[in-house]
Amino acid sequence: MSDTPHRLRDRVKRRALAALTAATVAVLVVVFYYPVGTVLVEAVVVDGRLTLTVFADLLRDPFYLGEVARLFTGEGPVAVARALAAPDRRLGIVGFTAYQAVLSTILSVALGLPAAYVLARFEFPGRRTLRSVTILPFVLPSIMVAVGFVATFGRNGTLNAVLTAVGVPRVELMFTLEAILIAHAFYNAPLVARVTTAAWESVDASAVETARSLGAGPLRAFLDVVAPQLYPAVLTSAALTFVFTFGTFPIVLALGGFELATVEVFVYRLARDLQYAEAAALALVELAIALGVLFAYLRYEAATAVSARRVRPLPRKPLWPTAWTPRALAERAGIVTYAGIVAVVFLAPIVSMLLASVTTADGSLTLDHYRFLLTRQQTGAAFQVRPWPAVRNSVLFAGASALVALPMGVVVAVITTRASRGRSLVGAVAMAPFAVSGIVVGLGLLRGLVFGVEVAGWRIAVAGSAAIVAAHAVAGYPFVVRTVAPGLASLDASLVESARALGASRARALFDIELPLVWPGVVAGAAFAVAISMGEFTATVVLATGADAYTMPVAIERFIGRRLGPATAMGVVLLVVTGVSFLVIERLGGEVRDY
Amino acid sequence: MRSVTTDGSGARDDREAHDDRDGAPYSPEASGDATTDGEFGRPGPNVPTAVEFDGVTKRYGETAAVDSVDLAVREGEFFTVVGPSGCGKTTMLRLVAGFEAPTDGRVRFGGSDVSGVPPEARDVGVVFQNYALFPHLTVGENVGYGLRFSAPPGGVSREERIDALLELVDLPGTSGRDPDSLSGGQRQRVAIARALAPGPDVLLLDEPMSALDARLRERLRLQVRSIQRSLGITTVYVTHDQEEALSVSDRVAVMRDGSVVQVAPPRTVYRRPASRFVAEFVGDNNVFEGVVAARGTVSAAESEGGETVNDDGDEQRVVPVAVHDTTLAIGFGGGSPERADDEGAATATDAHGTGWSSTPRAGDRVVFCVRPQHLQVDRAQNRLRADVEGAEFLGETTRVHLTWSGQQLVLSAEEPLAGAVTVGFDPRDAHVVEHTATDGGADTS
Repeated sequence: MSDTPHRLRDRVKRRALAALTAATVAVLVVVFYYPVGTVLVEAVVVDGRLTLTVFADLLRDPFYLGEVARLFTGEGPVAVARALAAPDRRLGIVGFTAYQAVLSTILSVALGLPAAYVLARFEFPGRRTLRSVTILPFVLPSIMVAVGFVATFGRNGTLNAVLTAVGVPRVELMFTLEAILIAHAFYNAPLVARVTTAAWESVDASAVETARSLGAGPLRAFLDVVAPQLYPAVLTSAALTFVFTFGTFPIVLALGGFELATVEVFVYRLARDLQYAEAAALALVELAIALGVLFAYLRYEAATAVSARRVRPLPRKPLWPTAWTPRALAERAGIVTYAGIVAVVFLAPIVSMLLASVTTADGSLTLDHYRFLLTRQQTGAAFQVRPWPAVRNSVLFAGASALVALPMGVVVAVITTRASRGRSLVGAVAMAPFAVSGIVVGLGLLRGLVFGVEVAGWRIAVAGSAAIVAAHAVAGYPFVVRTVAPGLASLDASLVESARALGASRARALFDIELPLVWPGVVAGAAFAVAISMGEFTATVVLATGADAYTMPVAIERFIGRRLGPATAMGVVLLVVTGVSFLVIERLGGEVRDY
Repeated sequence: MRSVTTDGSGARDDREAHDDRDGAPYSPEASGDATTDGEFGRPGPNVPTAVEFDGVTKRYGETAAVDSVDLAVREGEFFTVVGPSGCGKTTMLRLVAGFEAPTDGRVRFGGSDVSGVPPEARDVGVVFQNYALFPHLTVGENVGYGLRFSAPPGGVSREERIDALLELVDLPGTSGRDPDSLSGGQRQRVAIARALAPGPDVLLLDEPMSALDARLRERLRLQVRSIQRSLGITTVYVTHDQEEALSVSDRVAVMRDGSVVQVAPPRTVYRRPASRFVAEFVGDNNVFEGVVAARGTVSAAESEGGETVNDDGDEQRVVPVAVHDTTLAIGFGGGSPERADDEGAATATDAHGTGWSSTPRAGDRVVFCVRPQHLQVDRAQNRLRADVEGAEFLGETTRVHLTWSGQQLVLSAEEPLAGAVTVGFDPRDAHVVEHTATDGGADTS
């Protein structure tokens, strides 16, 4: 057997990794850095001249920065502190966004930690399924969640229906901060739960037993041994939650009303009003804050890497206690209460949405809303949003963007695991899409690529759909990195070294040994990319203006204005399509494991 | 470096003088190499060097894991590097495999510098401590992995080669099995088969027995030795277990803190350790420090004759040494335990020993050791009154711990002892490891 073809393939494979890296970088530059750059640069380049006045005006405007703007108008920090302490303080848009992000984070952590406790320390039928299910809220489209909460909290929503049935007066939760916070918790509490559960399950029982044998009581052993290992998980998930809720858009749009606008909403408004300079400046401020938190998160995460060593996890208690001690009773009562809250928070929007899609305004069952979708499909005018193109586009875009996001994500994961220096930098680069305003991404793609660019007399333009796929891929690939990188990092180095000693080049060892062993992570990443794409709203809504390339989330938003019914019907369709796609991919790829 | 020709013969120009081991069928008789001239059939000093360390240093930051090491491993030799944790032995192995590059110095294979040659291009097979079997491939696919990059030696088909190797490691018919379903010892043998499949020139094993229980370890190391013998492949074996090192190796290199302290066949390392460290590391030992006493304070033993002959046939001088207020008679002289030379290249000894303490003078500081089996209760010479602290029954022998003049001693006996005992040893059974002359010139190796 001649080995010449082996050598040739080897040479190709060796270059292959470098080529893939170059291609990934090129794609990122073209669909992310360049478009975003062209928009952000407008904050400092007005009418062709470099200027900082737009930026300075923004920083000095209390409308945006609240009392902190005083810092930039020359007043000292003491004056700022005093103003912030005053009862009639102004937070400004940025301040309010940060404020609601902090509150959302606290609520998410408070809601997520008990779930981690139950998942990590108890055994009950369906535990593993429940654990897998915690990923679902995160991949549900935000606009759908928004619609669900509108259906729950609205004047005629399910919450009020339940309350009036019980005899309690109605509550007005729409357009309140509370509604936004709860919707944010819906998204992020499962993230907190997931990460913390993983950390809890990797605590070595021997360490706790040692503490107990040395004289520490159960609570003390928990505080001294277990809790320190949980803090990093809680902090990192809190940091991510902050970044996500800081840049929130669809939820605030639907539930916030006019007074509770966040930074992203204003960026959207300014851009829509063609005030690009201000929009860009505001987006830059948003970016700076989000990137700062993200970078801190990455540094912290790197410093607290979970060891791959197999530990003996803490033993699990049965949900139905063996002995009904007061403590067991109190614990179970707490769990039942918590389960009730969780059911309300997580099931309510879904159930409300389902109910709203089959009820009329006066409460009778009907299929009118679905019929509306069908008639709109058959008889709608060209400029109107129709359901089938929305569904078809969503599915097609999801598939295409996953095909792009997967190799990109895998390449970045390989680089972040292999690189010894600059790993944080590469990680930050990989996670940058989290920190950048989706509006800016959409806008950049729209003006940069869709409207085209003049190069040497040729106009290079990209179809709207291609730009949408690009935006979705950029939104999705960080999740691929997050599911693939931990698997790669926890692989035993001696596996790769054995392969190399046997004659495999570094790239060959990657393809033959490493990738097959992290395959579950790759599959999970693909499922994520598809779900993220299906739910992507912010950039898509900018790119789909006027074009025929609208997706299900965009359609929902268009319907939401008129009446709730068709929007919820569309939302149900989106939920079904997303759920089915996610499950199909998971099934096809095997068990999903991440973190 | 290997150049694999399309007919898979793997012959290299500079090896024409030797048998083409890659193509030969496995036969136990293959170990009879014409250039072997050491005892027990091990490669002697005239055998060409397979792997050489030439002034190799490896630094990590400020610390030198390997410090200016010169070493030559002979072709066909079973060469073990042994030492305590952190002594640099694993780093040595990784330098040979190509996973690390030396900070200074060169590593050579058969005379050619292999700096810059990546691991996949070096002709080595590696067995790791945790075996590192690829969990997603079957046993057969694991063993055959290296054959994706080079043709099986001997012109046989891939399947034939895999089967032959599995037979060699005594795991026939396991080709289709999952590595997870194997026991630790079986996995280790698959790892060995995998490393040997491409027919490498050098086999490297990094503490392969550490994860196994004691009984299995003893059985498997003999198996590894017998496989190595039948293939005649140069083998570098790393372990912290000195008993393991002594039992299977042709030569042993003892390392400490990045330096090689002694390189010699196992018998030499055991009987003539080059330094106090080696004396204490390899097997149990009793180490005494004393000062050469003036004549006139001789014991009856010494007066039997100023000169005597030890077990190796070397002539020795019996000298009085004062240890803890007792004068003992110690035999000086004999073959010197060269550090880097082999006993085959031993310098001639004169009647009073070599550059080693040829004239021990009164006042010289001396460190010598006596093995536990040479401390005996019924010995007439060098009597020491000691108290028994405890005894360990080990089956074949009993290890008895004694205290004499504040110093801990160990002796091997057939029966446990108790209370106060008097033990003695033959002057010829004392081995001098350090000798410092009073004029400041130290005469140790």
